[in-house]
Order: sequence, then structure tokens, then C-alpha cells
Amino acid sequence: MVVLAASIISKSGKALVSRQFVDMSRIRIEGLLAAFPKLVGSGKQHTYVETENVRYVYQPIEALYLLLITNKQSNILEDLDTLRLLSKLVPEYAPSLDEEGVCKAAFELLFAFIEAISLGNKENVTVAQVKQYCEMESNEEKLHKLVMQSKINETRDAMRRKVTEIEKSKTDRGKPDKGGFGPLRTPNSFSDMGIRGGGPGGDPIFGDMDSFTHKAKGRPSAPAPAPASASAKVPGGMKLSKGQKTSQFLESLKAEGEVILEDTQSSATQSRSSYIPPSDPITVTIEEKLNVTVKRDGGVSNFDIQGTLALQVLNDTDGFIQLQIENQDLPGLNFKTHPNTNKELFNSQQIVGAKDPNRPFPSGQNETPLVKWRIQDLNESSLPLAVNCWPSVSGNETYVNIEYEASEMFDLHNVVISIPLPTLRDAPGVTQIDGEWKYDSRNSLLEWSIILIDQSNRSGSLEFTVPAADPSIFFPISIGFSASNTFSDLKVTAIRPLREGGPPKFSQRNRLVTANFQVVLRLARLFPHLIKALCQECLARLRCEYTCSAIPESPRGKGKNEVEC
Amino acid sequence: MEKPCTLLVHFDKGSPSMANEIKSDLEGSDVAAKVDAMKRAIMLLLNGETLPHLFITVVRYVLPSEDHTIQKLLLLYLEIVDKRDATSGKVLPEMILICQNLRNNLQHPNEYIRGVTLRFLCRLNEPELLEPLVPSILANLEHRHHFIRRHALSAISAIYRLPHGDQLLPDAPDLVDRALAGEQDAAARRNAFLMLCACAQERAIAYLLTNADRVAEWPDLLQMAAVDLIRKVCRSPNRADKGRYIKIIISLLSAPNSAVVYESAGVLVSLSSAPTAVRAAANTYCQLLSSQSDNNVKLIVLDRLHELRASHRDVMVDVVMDVLRALSSPNVDVRRKVLDLVLDLLTPRNVEEVVMYLKKEVVKTQAGDLEKGGEYRQMLVQAIHSCAVEYPEVAGSVVHLLMDFLGDTNVAAAVDVVLFVREIIETNPKLRVSMIQRLIDTFYQIRASRVCSCALWILGEYSLSLSEVESAISTIKQCLGDLPFYTVSEEGESTDASKPAQPVVNSVTVSSRRPVVLADGTYATQSAATETAISSPAVAPGSLSSTQNLRSLILSGDFFLAAVVACTLTKLVLRLEEVQPSKVEANKASTGALLIMVSILQLGQSSYLPHPIDNDSYDRIVLCVRLLCNTGDDVRKVWLQSCRQSFTKMLAEKQFRETEEMKAKAQISHAQPDDLIDFYHLKSRRGMSQLELEDAVQDDLKAATGEFTKDADDANKLNRILQLTGFSDPVYAEAYVTVHHYDIVLDVTVINRTKETLQNLCLELATMGDLKLVDRPQNYTLAPESSKHIRANIKVSSTETGVIFGNIVYETSNVMERSVVVLNDIHIDIMDYISPATCADVAFRNMWAEFEWENKVAVNTVIQDEKEFLDHIIKSTNMKCLTPPSALDGECGFIAANLYAKSVFGEDALVNISVEKQADGKLGGYIRIRSKTQGIALSLGDKITLKQKGGSS
Repeated sequence: MVVLAASIISKSGKALVSRQFVDMSRIRIEGLLAAFPKLVGSGKQHTYVETENVRYVYQPIEALYLLLITNKQSNILEDLDTLRLLSKLVPEYAPSLDEEGVCKAAFELLFAFIEAISLGNKENVTVAQVKQYCEMESNEEKLHKLVMQSKINETRDAMRRKVTEIEKSKTDRGKPDKGGFGPLRTPNSFSDMGIRGGGPGGDPIFGDMDSFTHKAKGRPSAPAPAPASASAKVPGGMKLSKGQKTSQFLESLKAEGEVILEDTQSSATQSRSSYIPPSDPITVTIEEKLNVTVKRDGGVSNFDIQGTLALQVLNDTDGFIQLQIENQDLPGLNFKTHPNTNKELFNSQQIVGAKDPNRPFPSGQNETPLVKWRIQDLNESSLPLAVNCWPSVSGNETYVNIEYEASEMFDLHNVVISIPLPTLRDAPGVTQIDGEWKYDSRNSLLEWSIILIDQSNRSGSLEFTVPAADPSIFFPISIGFSASNTFSDLKVTAIRPLREGGPPKFSQRNRLVTANFQVVLRLARLFPHLIKALCQECLARLRCEYTCSAIPESPRGKGKNEVEC
Repeated sequence: MEKPCTLLVHFDKGSPSMANEIKSDLEGSDVAAKVDAMKRAIMLLLNGETLPHLFITVVRYVLPSEDHTIQKLLLLYLEIVDKRDATSGKVLPEMILICQNLRNNLQHPNEYIRGVTLRFLCRLNEPELLEPLVPSILANLEHRHHFIRRHALSAISAIYRLPHGDQLLPDAPDLVDRALAGEQDAAARRNAFLMLCACAQERAIAYLLTNADRVAEWPDLLQMAAVDLIRKVCRSPNRADKGRYIKIIISLLSAPNSAVVYESAGVLVSLSSAPTAVRAAANTYCQLLSSQSDNNVKLIVLDRLHELRASHRDVMVDVVMDVLRALSSPNVDVRRKVLDLVLDLLTPRNVEEVVMYLKKEVVKTQAGDLEKGGEYRQMLVQAIHSCAVEYPEVAGSVVHLLMDFLGDTNVAAAVDVVLFVREIIETNPKLRVSMIQRLIDTFYQIRASRVCSCALWILGEYSLSLSEVESAISTIKQCLGDLPFYTVSEEGESTDASKPAQPVVNSVTVSSRRPVVLADGTYATQSAATETAISSPAVAPGSLSSTQNLRSLILSGDFFLAAVVACTLTKLVLRLEEVQPSKVEANKASTGALLIMVSILQLGQSSYLPHPIDNDSYDRIVLCVRLLCNTGDDVRKVWLQSCRQSFTKMLAEKQFRETEEMKAKAQISHAQPDDLIDFYHLKSRRGMSQLELEDAVQDDLKAATGEFTKDADDANKLNRILQLTGFSDPVYAEAYVTVHHYDIVLDVTVINRTKETLQNLCLELATMGDLKLVDRPQNYTLAPESSKHIRANIKVSSTETGVIFGNIVYETSNVMERSVVVLNDIHIDIMDYISPATCADVAFRNMWAEFEWENKVAVNTVIQDEKEFLDHIIKSTNMKCLTPPSALDGECGFIAANLYAKSVFGEDALVNISVEKQADGKLGGYIRIRSKTQGIALSLGDKITLKQKGGSS
């Protein structure tokens, strides 16, 4: 009762499509199919041929034969049923009943054949059913997708809520600590998410926020800038009410005796953590990005800093302003200004103002970069952080000692040192550490994080063991941190309005972040090494996907960076 | 065992798709391009490319795809991609990467994705990959969609049957048992049941037996599985509960689904050989035979009945009338099979009934002018003929009816009738008088010359009494018409007689231009009488006067018939002289006969006909004339008795040959002296038919998939070793060639004769003729003085002498260029493909006329004896001699024989040998080979030319 194969062949014996349901070698099936046209006599009124070993049951379809190969004990009645079904299926899927048409639709035909015969046994199906099976339209899947979509939406809302909450509590905590604590490494993603999440869920969050601030009433120091930012990001139609609410909110804050201007000033002077969302009508962001590649044996290649001064003006009435800046004079520092700014004014008095006094700075959600600068040719001594890695193999273990040394110039927040590891089953054994560590098995990374490096811990070390491995595997070490003062020490000292009115309130955010800070083995070998690391990482990731059931959908951020470099 | 091949897709080599092209398409995000690239990748894989780097691309870019078609193609890809390392046989490490995807698919919300993935798992043989998937598979057993459950059950079954599969799924039978109990869907139940049958038979049996009463209500898929199980179960020696199974089977015999019924009947026979059971099975088959309209089904059911007949003839005898009813089918093949079967089942009890039925059928063919009625009638006549030969008592009831068909327009049927009459009249003396009377009455209706001559012989031989002889002579005279046939005056004026004859003459000359073989196998290049009749069966009855059939035939140039007329008349006159008391009457008849003969001779020598009379006929007629003028006793004896005697002898010999054949057949089943003895009480080979049958099913499947490896005869293998290179070549190679049905396997042993390592050694083969290499050659590295076995498969698709040639290419470390050793050619012998076969004389002649290719080989041999030469050719060409040995007996200086063989591809090879001993003692003549294809004719001709010399033997 077994169909060995279902095939379509041309009259000359060319096998066009064939699906075997029983294991047989290629030469065997090809031989059987090639022999068939010779066995078919003409003028016979029955459509089966028996040979010594097999039986062919066939049906001519124009210039083709549709053919079932069965063993001789096979049940002819069933086989004929199957053949009839298949013969109805072929014209359904093949655009034309000739060699070309069948070849074109070969795979569709194969799929249909598979549905009609399961493992050589006949299935009781109709043409309509086979079509349905092949189309694979599933209501459950649609439903599932809908559910997933709504879940994603929900999660997004919840996430946004959470973020604002965390933000809130951070600012609550941050104030008395004099900005000692920076937030964890979420600033970039926060603003991204805030924008993405600015959907219809805005209102409840806001309400939530409201209640939250009310709860926090008792705390005198709560500046609560977050609600303002949230309201600022709500799109058009709701702006009016939002604006009202914001003002209400601010009013109530003021009524509670909170001076918002003070708050921003303090944050500016104290170089508070870098990412306070703009709560003031005018926000100045000063950011420097650090690009360093350090060789393992010392020596710096490619050490440069790129800085931006960006301005965000919320209301276009506040756009008529000039910024007074000051900076430390450094060798190798050169500025570039926006084409619309007055260059003379900048060069002579270090004032950033528009060329045309009647044109305000652009307003809205976007930050407008006004000044850019670059610092080059810095030497090794000005590195904010130096990392040394000493892998040593002993026996079948590798001991790795890593130490860091931070310069006096900066207080570093959220330092994360990621050390690539060989693919491991278990986390590496950490014998000594200053700070915290985390093993990321997906990427085979050991992440050493130190929340803050300041006077108290200018140097620190980590020691761990892994099974014996090539020392080169531990490179490149990538380092990430942020700091609240910059190399150039550029600051906005004042904002002068061009129109009438007092000096507007503004907030200022200064920060230094790492764009790419790596310790590499040797520059010449960088590229192949990276490839290898990437491949390993790839494999490791996939292997881990197979072991853990959850599949995080986040892209492989690190791997990507490496490829780019 | 080679890697199994699960699908074939025609691949057009004209558009080779580069691997990196596919790769870039796969990496892209365009779904249509991806689908296309996957298809191309699969085709390349099927075509033997390995594409090792593509796998990672597929894993990275295709696995995450959401598209259903891509997922399905991916499963196909995974099905055919090499999952194991070629050398170590271990699962490739990167294969583990697909597991996660499969797992996701098994939990996919789309039920069809789940289903197809489960189905794919049935084809996965790597426990390493299956292990992590097991929980997901089991979870799918509970899914509410039947599509998923069905395939989950098959997947469990497949996994459990893997080596060590029971460790992967230790509780599978439990689970499936539970699933089966609660399952509603027919296909899912079937799959569950099949799983139990294969993996936990006792559970399946328990399930079957507890549900024994309800089996009849089961869905047909499940019933099929149950029948299959019963067949399997009854193989085991535990046959105590056989009755219960038989009960189930009997209930299934009345199932609504005919497939189940058919299967059940088959199992019933294997289950029990009790007459009741066999009768039930036979009745079921007969029901199917009448209820199913499909010819295929009818033919195969008839095959089953044939098998039943072989083992249980006594039971089958009872259903013979039911079988006969299948004659109502218009299909010739079905009818032929039915008649074959019925003729084997004749007994004295039922022969009467059968013949009556056949007679009715014959009458029916007369009434309705059916298409192929003639052919069918011929079959019926032959059937009745053999009935009558076996049971002469029935002949009387049919022979008169049949004699109506002597004038049949279908010559073959008429010839059969007349041969039948000839035999009956000899074997049934009681019927002689009435038959002669009848023959005389119907003689004028006979149209065909062959029938005529045979009827004349009968008249001449069996007209014994005075009245019979006289009426016979007058009938012949009447049929010849007025004398003379031809007068000088007619030449110019063209009278009524000559005019209508003219077109007939033309048609005869046209049709007889081709050379033909005579019945004895000789080659006739002149217009032979018999041939004209065959090639123009309807001799335009309109142009002949209704009574003067002999005249018109003779006027159309049939002098062979004329000679027969002369002989018959001579015989009748001689007999008349014996029985006629009046000398005057006898002399009158004698002169009348002489006048006719002379007229014939005159016609033969006139210029009226395009061909003058042939010498043979002329001689015979002259002999008759002489005889009638000058009779003698010994001559009389020869003419009146010896003829009949030789005919009796011929019949006796025919009988003898048939009994010999029967005896030979019967002898086969006898045990050899050194055979093992079967003890009834022990497990025997023959006694337990079901055992054998079950094995037969298994073997059948194995044979069908080509898994069957016969124990090769080692000695035979060694005979076929071919040396491919010389002993002093750096690489020595020899091969032995094994010819299977459709493929040739070359086992090549390659030996490195040097002291260096040979790198990239490659056996490159090329073929000529209808041969095709299957695999592409691989590279090997050969250590100094080591050897390697390389196997090459070559596909053959027709019988033709093929040549395989090739070379061995290799590199050594110090020589940069590749070195080449050219191999000896390997000739594939046609003899491996043809095997002796038999076919009917008529079929042979039809094929001979039909086939387009002829190869004529002149005889050139040192063999002096023609018989010996024939044996030599038969031996060296592996063909079967169709000419009966009796026809080859005796020393007459010439021999003509037909040989026949069939190739494994179903092609026919015909050979005719016509040899004559020449004056110098050497043999001369021709061997002609005919076939439908050029290949056979040429190759066989070459073979014969090569071998015919003989001499050494």
C-alpha cells in the first residue's frame, strides 16, 4: 500500500518533477522513470504497466505523463484514486500542461503532491483541501498577529510609563545627591523611545504623571521636568490641552514654591548628569564624543573628539536670542559655526547669534546644532581612562588581569568595560573585582561596570579565569562611559534676548560620551581578528538562541559596531 | 546504501545559477527574489552541487523569514542538504542552528506551518537535531487542528522508529495510544494506528480486538491500516486467535470502500487456505471485477484471480461463470485475460456451461458489428478450440456454429475456424459426416485464399462416401466457374471475367512487393499466395461473383491455391474411383479434373497475368495431371492415406509437446533430492503460506526501491575484470563492471605504483552511446603504493553497445602540471541487456513487418553443419529459437529459424537465420536482424558478425 513516487515526465522520459515517498537512490528512480516511456505501449486501454519489480500507474496529460510508481502488491484501487486526485491537481498549479509549464510550477506541484500523499499512504483529501493546505491561510495566525500587535502596543505604553517613572525617581534622588548619580546608560534610547511612544497613549501617562507629582508634593526639591517633556512631545491635535496642562502643572509647582529657573541653573553649573529632558523654553546641549583606539601595548591611534553645541528653543517667540559662550583654550581645538550664525560676532566676542537679527533661531522639538568643534592631536596622557589587560595562560586556565586608571580631569559615570571571551558554557570565574560584572552569554562578553569613577577610585582592577584560550581572544576591549564635563570645557554663560524682556530661562547640558573607545591587540591585524570575533559571536548567539527559549529581538548592537569599524 | 533521493526537479543546464548570485538574493529582503533563489539553490543541490557555504547564508537570512512559501522551500532545502559529514558520518555542527527555527515553527500560530514542519521531521534522521524538538512535537499532539495532529503522529512514529528513537521518546506508544482513543479525524487515527502497528504491535492488536465489532464502521483509511496489521500479525507463530482476525476481515469484505474490500480479500487468502475463505476471497474479487469499470482494476483483479488459481484451483473452478461475466468489458486485454483464466479452470463439469457462454458471446459478435469484433471473435474461437481439444465432447455443439464463420471477413478468425474444423474432423470421427456436409454447403462463402486451401484439403481428405465425393467435386467445379479461365479472344476484348479481376491483380502486386517470411521461416521474395491473403484480407467481395470465389482468387494470380485445387481434385477423383461402382462416372470426373488443371496451366502461361505461374505450382499441377492419367496402387496409397497419417502424426506431436511442457512445469515444483525437508510442526518455508506472503510484501517493496542486492557470484565477478592501465603506469587501475537493470556500476581499483603521494587524483569518465554518468568525479589523495576503490554509476536508457572511456588525472608535489593516464576503453556488452523470450508466431511476424531497422549479415563461418551453426548463434546471442525443434530436424541442407529476445527496457529483437549448405560444403545465407530501434539492430549485428565465425568450438 505504498506509493514509491509521484512524478511528471515528458513523453520522451525526461523527469520533470518527482517526489519520492520512500527512500530510494537517485540512480534507481531516474532509471525507473527513464524506462517508463519504453514500457508504455500504444493503443492499450489500460493505464498501468508492470515490470519485474514495480508497477507504474499513469495518466497521459497532453504531452506529459503523470505517473505513480508503486510496488506490485500495492492496492490498485487506492492508487487510481490518488492518481485521479493528482491529475486534477496538475492543471490547478501548472500554468500550461507542457514541459515548460510544469518546470515553472515544479515546486508548487511538489507541495501539492506532498499534501495528497503522506509518506506513501493515501490521504483522503479533495482538490479544494489540497489548495487550502498549500495556501496556508490561517485564521489563527491572523489572530495571533493581532494579539501580538496589541501586546506590543501595550508593552510600549507600559515601557514609556516605566521610563517616566524611573526618570522621575532619578531626578528625585539626583537632587539631594548633587548630581552624583548619573542615570544608567539609557539616555539615548530614552529620547528615542519617548518619540516613538508619543502615540495615543499620551494621555494616561500624563494623568499618571500628574498623580505622581501630586504624590511627590511633599518633597520640596522635586523639579519634575519630565512631564513637561512629555507634553512637549505630544503631537498636534492635543497640543492645546497639553499646553494648558503643562502650564497648570508649572503653575502648581510654582505655587508650591519650586523655582524652576533655579533648578536649571543649578543643573548647568553643577554639570548635572547629561540628559535632563528639556523643560525650559531654551535648552543648550553641549556634547563631546570621544573616538579612541588604544593599542594593547600602549600608544594611541586615532584619538579625537568631536563636539557639538546644539540649541533647542520650544517657542518661536523665544528664538530671538544670542548665546555668550566661553571655553578653555586648547591646542588643536577649532570651531565651525552654522552658516546662519554671525561669524564675526563669534570670532570676536564668542557670541553665537543669528546673522540676520530679525530671524529667530528655529524652534520646535529639534535641536539645532550651532557650533561644532574638533579636538585633534591629543596625546595619551589626556586619555580619561586607560585600561590594561594581562591575559596569562597557566595550565588549562587563562588568568586575565585588567586594570584601569582614570585621569584626574574627569569623573566618569557608568563605565562599562566589555571584554570578549571565548565561547563558554558557564560564566567565567571572577576572583577579584572593583565594581560589578555581568556575563553576557549571548555575545560572549564579560561586562565590567563601575557606576562612578571619581577621586575615591581612580584605579581599579578585575581578575577572572576562563578555560585556556588564545590571549588575542580578549581583544578588542571596548569601553563606554559618560562624563559631565568636557575636554573643551565650553559653556554658555548667558543668554541675551534680542527683543524686550528679561533674560529667558534656559537649561544647559554638558556631557562627554564615548563613541568608540577600544583597546585593540595590534592595529595591523585588526580586521581579520574582528571577522573571527564576529563569527564566533554569531555562532554563540545562535547557539544560545537554541538553548534559551526566549528570543530577544534586539539587534546585535555590538557586532554591528565592530563591523563598521 | 546510497543517499536516498527524495525529490527530482528538472534542471535546465542552460541557465547555470551562480552560488553567489543565489547568496545575494537570499540576503536581500525581496520575498519573490528569495523564493526564487531558494528554488535555484534546491535545484543546484539536487543536481549534485554541494554549495557548502550557502548553509550559513540560509541560516542567517532565510530562517527568520515569515513568508510561508520560503519556510516550505526551506524545509525542502533542509531535507536534501547534507546533514552529515561525508567522511565521519557525524552530524555537521552547524546543523544545530536550524533547531531553534524548527522549534519556532512547531509553535507557530499557523497550523499549516506546524504541520509541514512536523512532516519534515519524519524525514529527519539525526537524533541530535530531533532531541530538542521532542517536547514541542508532543505538545502538538493536543492541538485542536487535525492537520497538526495527523503530522505530529507521523512524526512521532518516524522518530520512534529511528535507531535509538525509543530513547528520545520513551513513552511514545503510551501517548499515541491515548491520542488514538480520543481522536476523531480519520487520517490522524490512521497515522496513530500505523504508529502503534510499527512500534508497539501488541497495543495495536489490543485496540483492534477491543474495537472488533466496530471495525466495519471505521473510516476507510483506518480499515486499510487494520487490514495491514492483520496481515502482519498473522505472520507471527501465535495463531490461536486467528479466528478473531478472520471475523474482522470477513466483516470488512462488505465494506463500502472497494479498496478495503480488495485488500481484505488479499489478506484473507494469506490468512487461511480453507476453501471457505478462499471462496469468499474469490467471490469478492469477482464482485470487484463486475462492479469496477476501470480496466486497470479489472486486469489487476484478474491477476489476483490467476494467483488464486495457481494455489487453489479447486475453489476457483466454482467461480468460473462469475469470471466469464467480465467478458462484457469491451477491453481486449481484459477479455484475453478472462479467457486465459477460464481456460485454465475447465473441468468436465463446467466445460459445457463455459462453451455455451462462449458460443453466446460469439453470436453476439455477429449481431453487433462491434469495433474489434473480429479480434474478439478470433479470441473466442481460439478459446472454444482449446476447450474442444481438451474436452472433445463439446466440439459437436459448437463446430457447426463456428463453421458459419468460415466466410468471415476477418481472415485470422476464419483461419482459426478452419484449423479448428480440421482438427475436430480428425479427432471426432462422429462429426465427420455432418461437418463435411456443412463445409460443402458453406464452401462458396469462403473468401480468403488460406482458408480456401485448408478447406479444400479437408474436402479432399475427409470426403469418403460416394455422395460426399461427388458433391465435393461439383462444389469445386461450381466455384471455379466456366472453363476456360482465359481465351485468346479475351486478351483483346477484355470480357466480363477479366475486367473485374484487373484491380485485384494490381492490389496484389502492390502488396506483395515486400519480402516476407513464410510460415516455416524461409524468406520469400516472390509473391506468395498466403501473403496476399493476409495483406489484403478483404478481397473486395463486390468484384467477385458470389459463388465463384475460387475462380476469382485464381484469376488474381494465386497459383498456390490453384495447385491445391488440382491436388484436391486428384484426391477426390482417386477416391471416387474407389467408391464409384460405375467406371464411366469415374472417368468422367477424371477428365473434368484434368480439364480444370490444364486450364489452370494455360492461364499460368498466358501473358494475361503479370506473373506467370511459379515453378513449384506448375510442377505440382503437372504431377497431378500425370497421376490422373496413369494411376498406380502405391501412388494411390500415398495420396489417400499417407497424407492423413502425417496429419495425425502432427496432431499427436502437438499433443505430445503440450504434455511435455506440462510435465516440465510440474517438474519444477518437485523437490530436489538435497532440498531441506519441511516439518509440518516446525516453522517451515513452504507450509505457512502467510509467512511467505508477508516476506513477499517486504521483498516486493525492497525490490521496488532497488534495495535488493543479490549475492553476487564472486567467481562471475572475477571473470569480468578489465584492466584499465598498464602495469608500468604510475597508476594501475582495473575495474569490474556490474550491470544492473538500468545502471552499470564500475568498481575501479586504483593503485599508486609510485613512491610519491598523488594528489587530486581523479577518475574522469566519458561515455559514448546511450549512457550517462550519474555522479561527478571526486578528487582523492593517494599515498605511495596504496590503493583505493572508486565506484562510478552509469545510467543506461536503451539497449545499445556503449563505450566508456576515460583517464586518470593526478598531481604530484614536484611536478606542477597534471599528469594523465589514459584508460582502456570499456565496452558494454549488449548481451547483458537482452534475455531470451518467447512470442507467438503471429506476433513475431507482425513485428517483423512493422519494425523499421534491419541489419543483414551475410553468413561467413567455418562451421559446416547448419544445425550446429544455429546452435552457435543462439548461444552467442543469448536468444530463444522460436522455430520448434521438430521443424529443424532432419538433414535437408538448409535451415530457417526465427530467434527472439527482449531487452530489459522492453525492446524486441528479432533475428531470422536462413542458411543453406552450398556445393562446396560451406554454409551460405543471411542472418537478418530487425528491431524498432537502430541501436539493437546495429549492436546485435556487430555481435553476430564477431561471433559467427565460430571455429574454436
